Amino acid sequence: MMSTDLSILLPEVMLAFYAMVSLIVVVYTGKDDSARPLTVLTAIVFAGLAFWIGYAGSGSELAFYGSFISDPFSRFAKVGILLSAAAVLLISMEYMSRRGLLRFEYPVLISLSVVGMMVMVSAGDLMVLYMGLELQSLAAYVIASIRRDSVRSTEAGLKYFVLGALSSGLLLYGASLTYGFSGTTLFAGIFEAAAGDVSIGLLFGLAFLLAGFAFKISAAPFHMWTPDVYEGAPTPVTAFFATAPKLAAMALLARVMHDAFGTIVGDWQQIIAFLAVFSMFLGAIAAIGQRNIKRLMAYSSISHMGFALMGLASGTLFGVQAMLIYMAIYLTMNVGAFAFILSMEKDGRPVTDIESLHMYSKREPLRALAMLVLLFSLAGVPPLVGFFGKLYVLQAAVQGGLSWLAILGVIASVISAFYYLRIVYYMYFGTERDSLDPPSSPVLWSVLMVCALAMVFGVINLFGVDALAAQAAAALVN
Amino acid sequence: MGGAGLLPIIALLPFLGALVPGVMIRAGRNAAATFTAIPTFLALLMLLTLAPGVMDGQVLQKSFSWFPPLGLSASFMLDGLGLMFAVMILGVGLLITLYARFYLSNEDPAGVFFTYLLLFQGAMLGIVLSNNILMLLVFWELTSLASFLLIGYWRHLPEGRQGARMALTVTGGGGLAMIGGMLILGDIAGSYELTDILQAGEAIKASPLYLPALILILLGAFTKSAQFPFHFWLPHAMAAPTPVSAYLHSATMVKAGIFLMARLWPVLAGTDPWFYIVATTGLITMVLGALIALFKDDLKALLAFSTVSHLGLLTMLLGFGTEAAAVAAVFHVLNHLTFKAALFMTAGIVDHSTHTRDIKRLGGLLTLMPITAAIGIIAALSMAGIPLFNGFLSKELMLEEASHTSWWESPWIVPVLATFGALLSVAYSFRFIVHTFLGKPRDESIDHPHDPPFGMWLPPALLCVIVVAVGLFPAAIAGPIVDMAASAVTGTEIHTHFALWHGITPALIMSGIAIFGGLILLALHAPLDRAWLATPRPEAKRLFDGAMAASVRGTRVIAEGLHSGAISRALAVFVVTTVASGLIAFFGRGLPEVSRPLLPIPPVAAAGWLLMVAATLSVILLHRRRFLALVVISICGLMVSIGFVYLSAPDLALTQITVETVTILLLLLALHYLPKTTPADSSVALRIRDGVIGVSAGVGVGALAYAFMRRDVPSISDYFLENAYSGGGGHNVVNVILVDFRGYDTFGEIIVLGIAGVIIFALMEVLLRGRAGRRLRNWAFSEDRSRDRHPLMMVVGTRVMLPIALLVGVYILLRGHNNPGGGFVAGLVFSIALLMQYMASGFAWTMDRQRWEYHSLIGWGVIIAGLTGAAAWIFGRPFLTSAYGYIDWPWIEEFEWATAMAFDVGVFLAVLGAVMLMLYSLSRMARYAGETVNLEPMDYDPSQKSVQTERAPQERGVPTEGEEL
Repeated sequence: MMSTDLSILLPEVMLAFYAMVSLIVVVYTGKDDSARPLTVLTAIVFAGLAFWIGYAGSGSELAFYGSFISDPFSRFAKVGILLSAAAVLLISMEYMSRRGLLRFEYPVLISLSVVGMMVMVSAGDLMVLYMGLELQSLAAYVIASIRRDSVRSTEAGLKYFVLGALSSGLLLYGASLTYGFSGTTLFAGIFEAAAGDVSIGLLFGLAFLLAGFAFKISAAPFHMWTPDVYEGAPTPVTAFFATAPKLAAMALLARVMHDAFGTIVGDWQQIIAFLAVFSMFLGAIAAIGQRNIKRLMAYSSISHMGFALMGLASGTLFGVQAMLIYMAIYLTMNVGAFAFILSMEKDGRPVTDIESLHMYSKREPLRALAMLVLLFSLAGVPPLVGFFGKLYVLQAAVQGGLSWLAILGVIASVISAFYYLRIVYYMYFGTERDSLDPPSSPVLWSVLMVCALAMVFGVINLFGVDALAAQAAAALVN
Repeated sequence: MGGAGLLPIIALLPFLGALVPGVMIRAGRNAAATFTAIPTFLALLMLLTLAPGVMDGQVLQKSFSWFPPLGLSASFMLDGLGLMFAVMILGVGLLITLYARFYLSNEDPAGVFFTYLLLFQGAMLGIVLSNNILMLLVFWELTSLASFLLIGYWRHLPEGRQGARMALTVTGGGGLAMIGGMLILGDIAGSYELTDILQAGEAIKASPLYLPALILILLGAFTKSAQFPFHFWLPHAMAAPTPVSAYLHSATMVKAGIFLMARLWPVLAGTDPWFYIVATTGLITMVLGALIALFKDDLKALLAFSTVSHLGLLTMLLGFGTEAAAVAAVFHVLNHLTFKAALFMTAGIVDHSTHTRDIKRLGGLLTLMPITAAIGIIAALSMAGIPLFNGFLSKELMLEEASHTSWWESPWIVPVLATFGALLSVAYSFRFIVHTFLGKPRDESIDHPHDPPFGMWLPPALLCVIVVAVGLFPAAIAGPIVDMAASAVTGTEIHTHFALWHGITPALIMSGIAIFGGLILLALHAPLDRAWLATPRPEAKRLFDGAMAASVRGTRVIAEGLHSGAISRALAVFVVTTVASGLIAFFGRGLPEVSRPLLPIPPVAAAGWLLMVAATLSVILLHRRRFLALVVISICGLMVSIGFVYLSAPDLALTQITVETVTILLLLLALHYLPKTTPADSSVALRIRDGVIGVSAGVGVGALAYAFMRRDVPSISDYFLENAYSGGGGHNVVNVILVDFRGYDTFGEIIVLGIAGVIIFALMEVLLRGRAGRRLRNWAFSEDRSRDRHPLMMVVGTRVMLPIALLVGVYILLRGHNNPGGGFVAGLVFSIALLMQYMASGFAWTMDRQRWEYHSLIGWGVIIAGLTGAAAWIFGRPFLTSAYGYIDWPWIEEFEWATAMAFDVGVFLAVLGAVMLMLYSLSRMARYAGETVNLEPMDYDPSQKSVQTERAPQERGVPTEGEEL
């Protein structure tokens, strides 16, 4: 029994083990000198685990009486989390080591955070959920303030922590209400309890749980931490925050809504639709005036989360599929965009002002073109892959009977297209300014190019991600 | 239909072809142009092989699966309308390629240009061949992108940059809006295939979502086709090289909107909203565009606004919603394409030869550039709608339709405005002719303009041939094409009867008025121009830029106002939203009826309540004097504990009171190192705000508690009451929950508590080494009121109490499973007993007598608890399953044993260790600060006037030799 349970949990156990062992080993050996090989090794471990989970896993299995679920849905999310985390590790190395930030704790903390995320997406129980969530968050709080000598970074970490603690508190409150009124913390049990006449306590619990999740995916109005943390944290950390944790939290949200509250779709649909609309518009409108590209990406991610939530709000199987596809595309676009942002330097110092991109295309035509593709894709302009993501979620909303949501989404996407296009405009038609340093890192270059190419060639069949997402969604919604 | 297989190939050819010029950047203009022409020509050829079938009324279809769940398929269709547009796109494409070959200079990167051009051509073909409206969208936006790249082709020109951005912002945005419309349309029709949608006209018009869908789709079409109020981007896009202007901005891309309206005409047209939105917009655009065109001095700007005006005309015709108007629209699409493309190319030639497009500097080119002039004049006459040229015919049809269309019950508005538009059109056309080609050269600095090479004037000349041919023999040449396309638009068989002479009709009269009026207007142009320039008028670009800048500023205000970085604001938003959503859930469902009567309030409870209220209010008044505030807070804690007793929760009361004691004691010790008063740092208003928040939070929670205590709400407590003994072997439900049902939590909690203790310890280490440590070392204690820090009475008292307190602790630990108590409380009781020693006898004294490291206590606690839990595995039970049984101790009694006991011991040790470690950290700080300690308090001799004040080096925290701090 125990061994079967553990074998289902094996990837998580192994990664946790890896993180702890590497921490101890490095502490007693090279410390920060071994940070570089450790980072590479961690990225390799992530990628290896991703392939293992992706290829070896099949069917749906329950461990520990259903409190841990390994199914196509969780595997889809895990592969996304692991791969994007590996990519972020690789693109962060150059930047971090150049600024003396590549401490050995960095890959270890990221590993722990990733373990947390993997637990989150596999959670079948409120307590497992919370454990995963907290493990992920605690590691993230530390990473946010990894630049200890910078006031902004520490401030970002502290803010993130205080607000995160509040959101955890709300989530716990929601979880305890849910438990109190359903008598169990297992999702399957809550599902049964919610099948009959739904008590107001359960609804309360639902609302508070949602508030906690909304914080993690930085959906407005629980997004307030995002711009400050994105701006204050070192750029690679921002890249990390913008990618894997978002997918994890989104998957967790979908899991809880469908597995635990699947019988009262109508009740959570409204809340999620509200979050979606608010996020899309706030993200789109607030980003327009931004000059700092990291802040801009923060608002952009808020807006994108709104779109992903739109898929979820439909409450259908197709909606979950749409959300997963949207998130997969979002991850790729963001990794690529951050690979570009990480290469923005002037006199060896990182630059985040978008004005510095004036006439970038003249000096770096290929990079500029790749970024153009990514930005258009972020804006959801056909025929790039980003458009298909938007199309999926819009379609899901329309099919789910939320045409008004789709219309609002379209309007928001028009608004948000504006600021992406502005960057393109600067890159191609700006005025001559002091130029950025010529980027040197081949890793950043290749990640940027791979992501941009994926945005173009993905239109053929989305690399089969849609079929996988369909399978994953089918495992979740039944 | 074997021919249908060619459709995807035709659509793909330009894209494949686009790769070739792209990779041969260095190969020169000839090669690039040739490789652009080849795929275009091939595609045209294939299309023409399909043409006979389509002219017979066939509709060719070919479909591939793409993303089935999205309703998106690679589905192609060719009918009359599509064929007409496709031939236009490819035919003009060929001419433009030839023209561009000569237009571009040697320095221009021709390969890139032709790649973009082919990309655009492919996208445009895709639009007209799509049978799937979602795929149509893909191609639609692709044209915007290609247009962006083409407009910005000459990057060195600032107007090009502005124009490209504006064009992309407007058309791209419109296209995105259209996605929504298309989705709704497909949802109503149940399919995204155009052929299916065209069948579902009735359902679509009847749907409640018809209007939003219509508006969203029209947003896309209007922005693309530069309809008022989105017309402003088109003239600014004219910064593009002239072949681009001729191809995209007059012949093809801007017609995409018209194409779409024509395509969806059967399902969308014919309703009131359609008429009022589309026809009105078209009418306004037509008149406005023509009016502005008349006063533009830049040749290309004049043509651009004339294009806007003609697009308005087309929109208006489609908006009328009648079949005859649709026929006229189709016919005019064809005619406008021929003369306008020719005119643009002419303007390009003029620009090329004279290096200016300023109409005020040109003149007399007829003699200098006769061929160009001839082409330009023919095309412009057609644009003016002069008989014998094709423009006349379609304008006639338009006026005919306008003459019997009433708008809002008024039969006059449309005909009058249409005539006025035609009149203006005549005026600017003649201005183009007269001011450019006739008269005398006005600017001597333009030296020797001459006709361009053959390749450059051939394309417009060919177009002029069509202009004249159609103008002379409309029925023979244009008739079948228009029949075919118009049938496809309207969905019914259409047979047109074009003729030059229909007799004296209202349209002819209107046309006559237009021509004469236009000539008069031209004669008056000079004074009118001055007047025009003198009148202030909104300039679209400035408005656009202003609107953009204002929105950027506005959003910045919003963004920065909202996200000021203040964490209080973030928290506020957070809390307010959550509370609001809770309230919505609350009021959405309502509460069950009140089912429990109010109990009488006993005087003791009332007194306790009053005490608590009084204490709370006192905290507000006294909070700046910290010591007093702490004392008052302890009253609150005490009352809460008593409240638990009152509400029959002795267990909670016990825990609460011990926790309370420990916290207060620790706080007391910590207060010693803090300022004695809190500085007042907030304004009165802020304090009032905070007060309101505090009071409402308290009242809210109170109300919630009240509401739930008055009702019998189903809860899980029954389950625990039933199973506490049978499952966990204990009568104290709370303890059983802690050590059994929720043993995992407890296990986690003691670990967390331990970690907290260790972290406080570690933080203190860091703290003592840093700046704070230096400050502590120089700490000047205030003069103590009492001379003796460790009064004898207290020392004796605490020492006497120590064994008793420890005994109580053991007792509480042992009884915990069945009666109030347990490891947690026992740990706290032990801690209190030890804490008292610290307080009374001093840190140093106590430390000397400490035998076990507190760290290890925590460690042992966790290990014992963990091992107890793991022991369950040996018996094949899940982690932390407890077991219990009874041992009969002969002659004494029967005892219950439970594994939970061992677990509780672990909890006890961990709690004790953690609390003591925190205390130890505080004590380190105290000794660091050089607190004086009576080394032997019991031996204190009152006869000596002073206490021993010497600071022993190791107690000052100064590292002695060999000691590592």
